[in-house]
Order: sequence, then C-alpha cells, then structure tokens
Amino acid sequence: MVELKNVYKRYPNGTVALRDINLKISKGEFVFVIGPSGSGKSTLIKLILKEEDATGGEIIVNGFPVSTMSRRQIPYLRRSLGVVFQDFRLLMNKTVYENVAFAMQITEALPKDIRRQVPMALALVGLSKKANAYPGQLSGGEQQRVAMARAIVNNPSLLIADEPTGNLDPETSWEIMRLLNEINQRGTTVLVATHSKSIVDAMRKRVVVLEKGAIVRDQEKGSYENEDKDGKVYY
Amino acid sequence: MKIRTAKYIIREGIFNIYRNIFMTLASVGIITATLIIMGIFLLLVLNLNENTRILKEQPEMEVFCSPELTDMEIYEVRAKISGYELVEKFHMVTREEAFQELVEIFENRQEMLEGYDESIMPVSFIIELKDPTRSDEAISYFKSINGVESVRYSLDAIRFISAVTNWVRVISTILIAILLVVSLFIISNTIKLTVFARRKEINIMKYIGATDWFIRWPFIVEGAIIGFMGSILAFIITGYAYNVIVDRFNRDFVGISSNFIRLVELNRIGFDIIMAFCLVGVAVGAVGSLVSIRRYLRV
Ligand SMILES: Nc1ncnc2c1ncn2[C@@H]1O[C@H](COP(=O)(O)OP(=O)(O)OP(=O)(O)O)[C@@H](O)[C@H]1O
Ligand SMILES: [Mg+2]
Repeated sequence: MVELKNVYKRYPNGTVALRDINLKISKGEFVFVIGPSGSGKSTLIKLILKEEDATGGEIIVNGFPVSTMSRRQIPYLRRSLGVVFQDFRLLMNKTVYENVAFAMQITEALPKDIRRQVPMALALVGLSKKANAYPGQLSGGEQQRVAMARAIVNNPSLLIADEPTGNLDPETSWEIMRLLNEINQRGTTVLVATHSKSIVDAMRKRVVVLEKGAIVRDQEKGSYENEDKDGKVYY
Repeated sequence: MKIRTAKYIIREGIFNIYRNIFMTLASVGIITATLIIMGIFLLLVLNLNENTRILKEQPEMEVFCSPELTDMEIYEVRAKISGYELVEKFHMVTREEAFQELVEIFENRQEMLEGYDESIMPVSFIIELKDPTRSDEAISYFKSINGVESVRYSLDAIRFISAVTNWVRVISTILIAILLVVSLFIISNTIKLTVFARRKEINIMKYIGATDWFIRWPFIVEGAIIGFMGSILAFIITGYAYNVIVDRFNRDFVGISSNFIRLVELNRIGFDIIMAFCLVGVAVGAVGSLVSIRRYLRV
C-alpha cells in the first residue's frame, strides 16, 4: 500500500526534514504519525503525495513508483488516494454537494455515478441535510466532514489526513476520529498525522513516532508517550 | 476529452470573463487595436499586389492624347508616332474601345458611368519599343508631340509599386510583431488576475487529482474568447472604414482614366481578413493564457 525505503528529504535551504525513513503500511491498517512540531510529519505526507520529491530512497504508494515517476503521473496517484487537511481546503463558491461532486468530475466520472456516489458519501459523514449549503455557512467540524466526503467519494484505497483535527475543539475532533475509524472499518487504509494525545491514547492504533526527521518508535496498539522501565517519558 | 468535461471547461471560461469584466474589456480593446493595425497593413499589401497584377496585364507603354482632339489632330499624332525610329509596333485604341474597357472595369457599378459616353475618353496608342532600354528618350519624344497629354510606362510603375510593397511588408512585419508581443503581455496579465484570484482553487484541484490540462483549459477558453471578441470588433471597424474609403476613392478617381489605381472591394477579401483576424486573435488569447497559468501549476 505505502512503502518507504531509506527515504531522505533535504529541503533546498539545507534543512534535513526526514532521514533514513523505512515504513511499510499494509492494506486496511490505521496508522498515527506523531511527533513534536517540526519533526517531519507534514513532510512525510508531502512525499507520499509527491508534493515534494524525496532526495533519497524509494517510495511506493498504491503501486505508483512515487520517487521515480514523472510529474504527469501525479494526478493519477492523487486520485488513487483521499487527502484531508487541517484547513479543510474546500471550494468556497461551490455548495457542499458540488464540492464533493467536483472530485468525481475531474476524473471525468459518469454523471449517473456522481449522482449515486455523492449522496452516499455525504450520508456517511452525516451531512445529507447540508448538501446545498456553502462551506462558509458550516462549522469547522462540518467543513472537515465535507472534506472527508470529498476524500472518499472516489472510493480510494488509502486516506491520508494531516492534522485533520488541528482546528477543531476536542468534542468535534472525536467525531472526526470516529468517522476516520469507520472509514477504516470499511476497508480503507488510513494514515493520520496528529498532535492529539488523548485521541491517540484512546484509539490504540499503530503509532509511528518521528523525531528530528527520524522514526524513533513504530508500535502496534501504541500510545502517544512511551514509558520505559525507568519511568522516563519520551516520545 | 469527454463532452461533459468540455461543457465544464467552457462554462468556467465564460464565467472567468465575467469575473473581471474591466480587464477583459481592456484586453479585448488592445487585441482589437492590434488587429486593426494589422488589418490596415494587410489591406495595403493586398491592394498593392492587386494593382501590380493589373499593371502587369497592361501594355508596357501607352501614349494618351487629350480627349478633346479632333480626328485630324489625332491623325497627325499617329503619323508622328509611326514615323519615330524607336517604335517597333503600335496599335491605336479608339474612344469606343477605351470606353468599353471602362464599362468592363465597372461591371457591377454601372451607375457610376451613367450620363457618360465614349466622348470623355481619350484616344491612345499602345506602343512596343525596339529598344526598351531607351524608354526615357522615347517618353520625352512622345510627350513633346502636340496633342499628347500623358505617357504611361508601366514598368516604372511596377518597379515603384514593388519597392513600396517591400517596404510596407518589412515595416508592417516589425510593427505587427511588436504589437503582438504587447497584446500577448496585456492579455496574459488579464488571465493572471483570474489565475491569481483562483490560485487557491487551482491548488485544491491539484490535490484532488486534476490534471494540468483540466485546470488549464478554462483559462485557455477565456483567452480565446477574449481574442475572438477582439477579432470580430476589429473586423467590424476595419471593414466599415475600408468600405467608406473604397466608395469615396473609386468614385473620385473614376475620371482619371490613364493612371488610376483601383481599390479591391471588401466582399472579395473580407473572408480572408476575418479569418486572419480570428486566427491571430484566438492564438494570442490562448497563448497569453498558457503563459500566465504556467507557474501556478507547480504544486
Ligand atoms: N518548504 C520548506 N522549505 C524548507 N524547510 C521546510 C519546508 N517545509 C518544512 N521545512 C522544515 O522541515 C522540517 C519538518 O517540517 P514539517 O512541516 O514536516 O514538520 P511537522 O512535523 O509537520 O510539524 P508540525 O507538527 O508543526 O506541523 C521543519 O524543520 C521545517 O522547518
Ligand atoms: Mg505539519
């Protein structure tokens, strides 16, 4: 599904954001990526989306050789996965329905498929009633659910979220996480970068911890902090 | 590309035009101005070519008598021409023949000849010289004959028109190239405004997997429509102005039968001109869009 082998990322200004990353995510997994600010979580996601190119190593996502393929292939890579961001990134001049439909429109999907799948996606995120509202008329949590409907409407096998709850209050954050969990239960692989300790601790999923650009812990059913035998707390 | 995608693209393109209507109008204006100037030169060259062609069909040297000469006086002129050593062959064109020629030239504008008959036409002599290199000498001899009003020597005229045509070509090519660059610049700035206003959207589209062309096309359509509007406007203005000029010109110059220049009628060249305008207008619009959107596609 997702595989990174000895991946390095050095930005043009010299910052080394990722070093020697080895990560394998299998079909159906739910993975949290955590770590302090600046540890490279967003960079990792940018590499997977080919928004940035790795400066070393090999990346394979949904069968796409991300590190070696040409720019022209990027749209097809991105169609094979769904993405959710902290700032929602909705088209403000389109309704909720149109926003979700647009993700299908750009793939030149059949109108009859669009009419069938968009209401399904909206129902899944619980926004059927708001289909004709504009994003500006929605709360942050609702906007994020629109973004999630858009991310899953093409039935991607992988859903990636970079701090999806970063702008939301704890209550709303939980709704979003429950939704991510439900999407995962339906068979979609989910990768979430987050700062939310309570959520990570409660959900008991696989946890990958980054620190200064390197993976320092990769644990099944992990928690946000790791207590070793001496009682010392670290990431 | 699928039809529904084409629909989306055209709808977006038209919507963009409304979005910044003032810049759109400015761009249409600049394209119109460029095309009008291009049109002026195009018409100039077309007319020069046409007149060169007419001149080439005409006899090399023709000596015109004054229209009011009597038959006796004409006979004297004829005698002086036939006795001149440089004349190889000559042929006299009667008033009737000359008028008939005029009637043929104005075949679809007969009303302009109403009230005239052959008496307005001069008698002329078409002359073939033994030695064309001595044409200057011959011309001054013919001019010195009593009763000869003018001598037309078309090789000189052809050479002159060719030289003018070449200069017009060079100047217009340079001028049009400059104008095209200017309009390209202005139109790409217009589109840039749209692109800038929509950069967030473009960014989002890239994240959800839109191809570059899917993003580009609406902007190209916007540019092409701007170019098309400019071409139509330019054609209306140029065509109207040219028609007025042709009417005036061909009416006022009808009397000067010996050396007169004819303007090509618009209905003979209008189609070529509108095609040229549309081609250039749409191309400038589309290329302008491509230029302005390029850097926003790097995500
Ligand atoms: N475009 C860039 N150019 C240069 N350096 C960058 C760029 N983007 C990120 N960095 C640097 O790379 C490192 C990792 O950044 P990244 O955004 O991946 O961290 P993060 O884990 O997502 O942090 P946060 O939790 O604050 O979102 C940081 O030191 C950052 O300053
Ligand atoms: Mg980040």
